[in-house]
Amino acid sequence: MANRITIDPITRIEGHLRIDVEVENNAVSNAWASCTMWRGIEKILRGRDPRDAWLFTQRFCGVCTTVHAMASVRSVEDALKLEVPPNAQYIRNLILIAHALHDHIVHFYQLSALDWVDVLQIPKADPAKTAALGESLSAWTGNSRMTMKAAQDKVKAVAASGQLGIFANGYWGHPAMRLSPEVNLLAFSHYLQALEYQRKALQVVAMLGSKTPHIQNLNVGGVANAIDLDGTSALGMDKLEMIKVLLDDVTRFVQQVYFVDVCAVAAMYPEWFKIGSGVKNYMAVPDLPLDSKGTAYDLPGGYIRHGDIGNVRGFQTAADPVFRQAVTEDVTHAYYQGGKPLQPWSGETEPQFTGWDGAQKYSWVKAPRFDNEPMQVGPLAQVLIGYAQGHELTCKYTNMTIEKVWSIGGLQVTPDMLHSTLGRHAARAIRACMLAELAQKHWQLLVDNIARGDYSVHNAPALPNSETEGVGTHEAPRGTLSHWVVIRDQKIKNYQAVVPSTWNASPRDSAGALGPYEASLLHTPLARPEEPLEVLRTVHSFDPCMACACHAFDPSGKRIAQVKVL
Amino acid sequence: MKRILVAGIGSVLLGDDGVGPYLVRMLQANYVFDEGVEIEDLGTPALDLIDHIAGLDALIVVDAVANGAAPGTITLYRKQDLTRCTPAVRLDPHSPALADALWAAEFYGGCPQEVLLVGVSGESYEGGCALSKPVQGSVERAIQEVLRELDRLGIGFIRRFEESETQIWWESPLAVAR
Repeated sequence: MANRITIDPITRIEGHLRIDVEVENNAVSNAWASCTMWRGIEKILRGRDPRDAWLFTQRFCGVCTTVHAMASVRSVEDALKLEVPPNAQYIRNLILIAHALHDHIVHFYQLSALDWVDVLQIPKADPAKTAALGESLSAWTGNSRMTMKAAQDKVKAVAASGQLGIFANGYWGHPAMRLSPEVNLLAFSHYLQALEYQRKALQVVAMLGSKTPHIQNLNVGGVANAIDLDGTSALGMDKLEMIKVLLDDVTRFVQQVYFVDVCAVAAMYPEWFKIGSGVKNYMAVPDLPLDSKGTAYDLPGGYIRHGDIGNVRGFQTAADPVFRQAVTEDVTHAYYQGGKPLQPWSGETEPQFTGWDGAQKYSWVKAPRFDNEPMQVGPLAQVLIGYAQGHELTCKYTNMTIEKVWSIGGLQVTPDMLHSTLGRHAARAIRACMLAELAQKHWQLLVDNIARGDYSVHNAPALPNSETEGVGTHEAPRGTLSHWVVIRDQKIKNYQAVVPSTWNASPRDSAGALGPYEASLLHTPLARPEEPLEVLRTVHSFDPCMACACHAFDPSGKRIAQVKVL
Repeated sequence: MKRILVAGIGSVLLGDDGVGPYLVRMLQANYVFDEGVEIEDLGTPALDLIDHIAGLDALIVVDAVANGAAPGTITLYRKQDLTRCTPAVRLDPHSPALADALWAAEFYGGCPQEVLLVGVSGESYEGGCALSKPVQGSVERAIQEVLRELDRLGIGFIRRFEESETQIWWESPLAVAR
């Protein structure tokens, strides 16, 4: 007899991920992912000037502001067949990279590390042994005994006060927590240090975008940064040098700390290379364009079906003809009216709320499909697709991961094992290393191009009266993002955003195929069903973000996620 | 010099949730403040809110609240009201997080001593870029609450002789980016 467990953060009025799992013999036998809020934000864009759309779309979400701005200008540029000057491409690329590095660091340390690290074991650690362990793993200078001792003292103070504060929500002492006190302390001290480095990455976004959280420097056709090598207010050598220093710091943290910690966690939880696979269809779009026309990219795209890595197909461009044709959205199990799947350009968002019913409609998220199949998106998709195509940078860091996990834990990782919860974490660290290296490259490309005397940053758009449509994509931290715009009479006629978390949090479709979160949870063993830490580990490995939503503060105190065992 | 942030929080695309960003623009257009005071529209931040609040002497947040009071009601919350409940297990760890950011800043160090949330009860959070009538009608009162708090903190401000242009760009129908 199966028990159903609902994990539903009931804290806020909307915008939540809810997970329902059925548990049989202490393993997940069925799963449903749902989002509890209707957004319908896209309707606001109808009738507006397409050149303004990015200002609105970057307000979709408080976490992924820049990515929605970028996809939006790209969609209009695609519709207008407008080229973007090289300087503007490099500046945009640097912003996207810096944002992604910030996002990946925050995700691993602040948002998911404590699924694996037991904070309450830290007081038992020996700081000297911890420092020695840290120094044996990495050249990082922040692994001294003093640093470890300071981190441990912070935890001891909190534990002694009896007020766990930000740590009140952890499943401490759970049987699935298995790191030694020293490894827990090492990771935790990096958790504290990570704050500073994610902030440095964000400073790069602010310096180029002139402001965070909402950047101000975009334009359809380029960017608004004035380039003046000797000036101080415009983008000059002073500012570029400061950006370089910040990028160097972040690069060191990513390569010497984040990457190493992920390898260490992987080596010590090897069973999680066998849990959490689910949908083995993967998709990524090419990104970091290297020229004005968008014919060459630093990150490859494509798709893989049914885990068949040998049969990877590449996308040639960021808005590849195959991608444009193959994406549809299915509303069979989503709270919307409608029949057969529609392409985003003709997409509709007419709500039809019926209440949660796992057999019928149960989510506000539509089910995006690629050629009628669910796709997993995100760093794992990016890495598998790059690796399968022999992409040099992807192969370099994937092989480094395999070597590092072997050297730490004597565990032989094969690419096949990456279809897993740990695979998603490893892939995110691989991608962060790649992006850190590419940040250096694109900084140099920008500096060299300016040195050649090219100061141009913008091509003015001309809006036609006839109807035209475009798609703008971005391979964002959580995966493939696409904005779809239809323009008529110089105004927006229709606008749809297909965001990474809707690919991954997708409900079932008309054929009954589960979405990636749902499928990844099947067969997961649960040591204590009433404390479903294992479910959190897998869901968090996707880096879910449903924050594209309203968030009026709820002071009522209903802040505890509800874990209901039915 | 005291470091103080007045932050408007909320989504300008979701009706009354936009009251925070709306209000900070009104403040910017109509008042001049002592040095050390930043007035910011932070949109819908998640834990990155920590970066904005760490090291401040005082934080004043304006946000919509879902407290069941009549639309347009203003309720003031202090730090202890906001951190009364401990953080939740989070499925979606990016969910916006005022209380969580305060908890985190408390732990990392640098949490402001003085925190005030000026909460405006909303009527509608449906997609749309306009405030409801009751919330629109409460904006001036909410501004006065912010000013009263600044005054209490010993911060000087004057009303501008001439209102500078208020840029509520999301309410403008066309061509705002140029």
